[in-house]
This record gives sequence, C-alpha cells and structure tokens, in this order.
Amino acid sequence: MEQGIHWETDFNNALERSKAEGKFIFLDFFNPQ
Amino acid sequence: MDAVTYPNEKVYDFMNKYVISLRVPADQEPLSTDFNVQWTPALLILDHNGQEHHRTVGFMTGEELIASILLGTGNAYFNNSQFQEALACYDSIINQHPDSDSVQEAIFQTGVSRYKSTNDPIPLKEAYQKLNDEYPGSQWAKRAYPYRLIQ
Repeated sequence: MEQGIHWETDFNNALERSKAEGKFIFLDFFNPQ
Repeated sequence: MDAVTYPNEKVYDFMNKYVISLRVPADQEPLSTDFNVQWTPALLILDHNGQEHHRTVGFMTGEELIASILLGTGNAYFNNSQFQEALACYDSIINQHPDSDSVQEAIFQTGVSRYKSTNDPIPLKEAYQKLNDEYPGSQWAKRAYPYRLIQ
C-alpha cells in the first residue's frame, strides 16, 4: 500500500466522501509558492 | 508541514483512518475567499456540508497536529450535539496526547459535554479543578473560573 496521506484536491469530491464515509474533512490551505 | 509533519507515519496513518484529507492552494478561488484565508498553512476541520468547526494557522508538529485534529473533530461532534462522540475525541487527547497544546481545551470541553449530556453541573466544576490544578493561570483555567462555585 502506498505510504503517505491520501490527499483529495477537489472540494466537492471531499464533501461527497465525507458524506459517504462519515468522516470530517481536514482542509489544508497551503502556500503554492 | 511537507518536510516534517506529513511524512510522519503516525500522522498519515491517523489522517488516512479518521479524516478526509483535502489540500488546496491558498489562492484558489472561491474557496480562499469563502474561508477567509489570510495566512498559511490554514488547517480547518469541516463537516460534510462544508461548515467549519475548527481552525489553526501555522506549523504544527505531528503530535500537535493529531491532537488538533482530534480537538477539531470533537468540537464538530459537540456542535452537532453528539456529545458521546465528542467525549471520545477529548478523552483521546487527554489520555494519548497529554502534553499537547490541545489538552486544556479538551479538559474544558469534557466538562461542558458531560454537563450538556446529563444536566449535571458537577463535571463543569471538575473541569475547573483539573485545569486549575494542572494548568494554573492558563487561558482555559480562567474561562472555567466561574465553575468553581458550583455546589
């Protein structure tokens, strides 16, 4: 199994997964530069 | 975060198990404006409706991040009146991350959650006593100060 965090990058996908999996969302706004 | 915190095995195991991890650039609109992002890293806990329940700004170690996520998810449950689920999160902070910066708020919230789920005010006084004994003069001991008078 691949190591590391399984990041979502799409907000709506994260909302859908949150509903389906019953988990809260951890949202990291990072510095893109 | 990328160099130290996220590569930590304890961190990614915890995050992959307990939350949906979402990462977006701080300048990505409309999210940046919607969540009023002014500095990075801005680390938020959201529910499935996109409602924010917890936020920190700035670097965190792995241990602090895990405790902070537990606090945020606990507060999200608390805000939804799911007090037993909230208490499980706060208990994890108190018992497994006792040296974290999140523990004082977890003690405070334990008292409030126990009160709201039972209508027994004694847990509020117990929270004050624990905060005053272990963290005298702290922000959360001060916030709990009125509870010392509960009989």
